[in-house]
This record gives sequence, structure tokens and C-alpha cells, in this order.
Amino acid sequence: MEERELIKQLKQRDRDAFKSLVDTWQNMVFNTAIGLLQNEEDAEDTAQEVFIQVFESIDTFKEESKLSTWIYRITVSKAMDHIRRKKTKKRFSFLMSLFKEDGQVMIEPPDFLHPGVKLENKENAKALFKALDKLPPNQKTAFVLNKMEGLSYQETSEIMEISNSATDSLLQRARQNLKKELRNQFESIND
Amino acid sequence: MKNKADLEKRVNIALDSLNQMERASAPPYFFTRLEARMQKGKTFWEKSTLFLTNPVFSFASITLILLFNIYVIASSPDENNITQQDNELATIDEYNQVSSTLFDFENIKP
Repeated sequence: MEERELIKQLKQRDRDAFKSLVDTWQNMVFNTAIGLLQNEEDAEDTAQEVFIQVFESIDTFKEESKLSTWIYRITVSKAMDHIRRKKTKKRFSFLMSLFKEDGQVMIEPPDFLHPGVKLENKENAKALFKALDKLPPNQKTAFVLNKMEGLSYQETSEIMEISNSATDSLLQRARQNLKKELRNQFESIND
Repeated sequence: MKNKADLEKRVNIALDSLNQMERASAPPYFFTRLEARMQKGKTFWEKSTLFLTNPVFSFASITLILLFNIYVIASSPDENNITQQDNELATIDEYNQVSSTLFDFENIKP
């Protein structure tokens, strides 16, 4: 189905059009969300939120950008909201633990392993994801979109609404910070 | 030196570990679960967040706070009156119009 026709049918709240949209974009949304959130359950939850948002606000989509760009933007925004909510919850849980006798802080999940990583790269990928989680949000987003989702600089820039040179700079800084973090990780293992 | 070179090599291998990575796919029956969630409607927290972040609610809250502030300022006692009372007390103190010491009580002139 052509994109314009799909949007028209979505605006009429057509179920088949919505199913077609989800079937087409679910892997793209899920892969981006899992890269940013590093948790399969959170990624599925966020992916659902993304499609609900698309369904509810399709009337506000002005078709100035591609539908995929708009869906990517919603995905990044929802994933960042999820990270913020999780951080707040973690802080609240820590505060509550101070006032309870049996105070239990939220348990840290084990190191994340992306389902698409090959077995021989398992340990290195675990270390890389751990380092990725420490990057500032915009560097992390640029890295996930470009390296994990395989988008070009142009596409990454359009989604993040920044210039190509800004994307380039973000990716360079992300790579430098990842290297620094990986060095620290490997050095602490050797010590 | 060798250790440093090994470390750099390991860092670069780790950085390239995503190069041969496959994309993650959405779990099976994703659409079925999504549809079920949409039919179930929003949870209490989602509804609360939507209500609290609604611009109409925010505007109404700010207006209410402003009105309350105006009411408090308008209904507070007249400041000029307080100043006048302060001045009167200062005059009494200055001219010793209040007999409060033992000396004053013992030396009352007829």
C-alpha cells in the first residue's frame, strides 16, 4: 500500500491499515527501543506505546517528513521517557529503602545481551552495551540509530532534527566515550 | 607497552562486535497484544499523567494559585495602619510617656 493511501486510511481509523502499519514497522520500532532501553520487556512495552501514539495522533501528522521518520521520532521520545521514569523509580526506591528496616533497593538487572548478537561476540557485546548505557542521551540515540538500526547520517539527522555535521560530531564523541569506558572496564577486570 | 596495545586491540574488537549483529525482531503475537492493550484502555497512572499534563489543567491550576495570591494580598491588614501604630509607639518610647520603672512609681509628684 502506498504511504499516502495508508495515512489516509489510518486517519479513518481503519483496522487493516493499522495492522499493516504495525506489521511493516514493528521490528524497526522494537530494534530501536531495545538498543536504547537494553531490556526486552521494556522494549515491547515502549513499542506498544509508540503504535498507540501513532494511532491516536495520526491526525496531527502533517506529512512534512516520511512516515518512518515520524515513527522513529516517537520511538526515541517514548524510550527516553521510559528511561527517565525508570531512573525516578530507582531513586524513589532508594529513598524508601532508607526509611525501611528491611530496606531493599531495586535490584540491578544483569548485563544486557542483545538477541541478535552472535555467540562468539557475546562477552564483547555485553561490555559494549554496558558502556553504551553510560553515554549521554543524544550520543546514545545517534549511535543506536546509526550503528544498530543501520540508518545513514542523513536519516539519523532527520530523526534527531539536527544537521549532518552535528550527527557526525555526536557519533565521534560517542565512539570516544565508548572507547574510554571500555578501557576502564577491561582495566578493572585485569586489576 | 604490549599490555597497552592489547588493551586497545580488545577495545576495538568490542566496538566492532555490533558489526555482524542481527536486528532484533518484535516478539510473536505483538499485534494481538497491542490490540488487547488498546481495547483495555489506559491504566490509572497513564490517565493521571495525561490529566496532570493537560494544558487546560495546568492553566487552571496556575490561575487558581494566582487568584489565591491576589486574595491573600487583598485581605491582609492595611500596611499604612501598621506603620502609623509603630510611629505612635516610637513617640511614646521617645518621650517616656510610659511609667514603667520602679523609680517612676516611687516618685509620683502630686
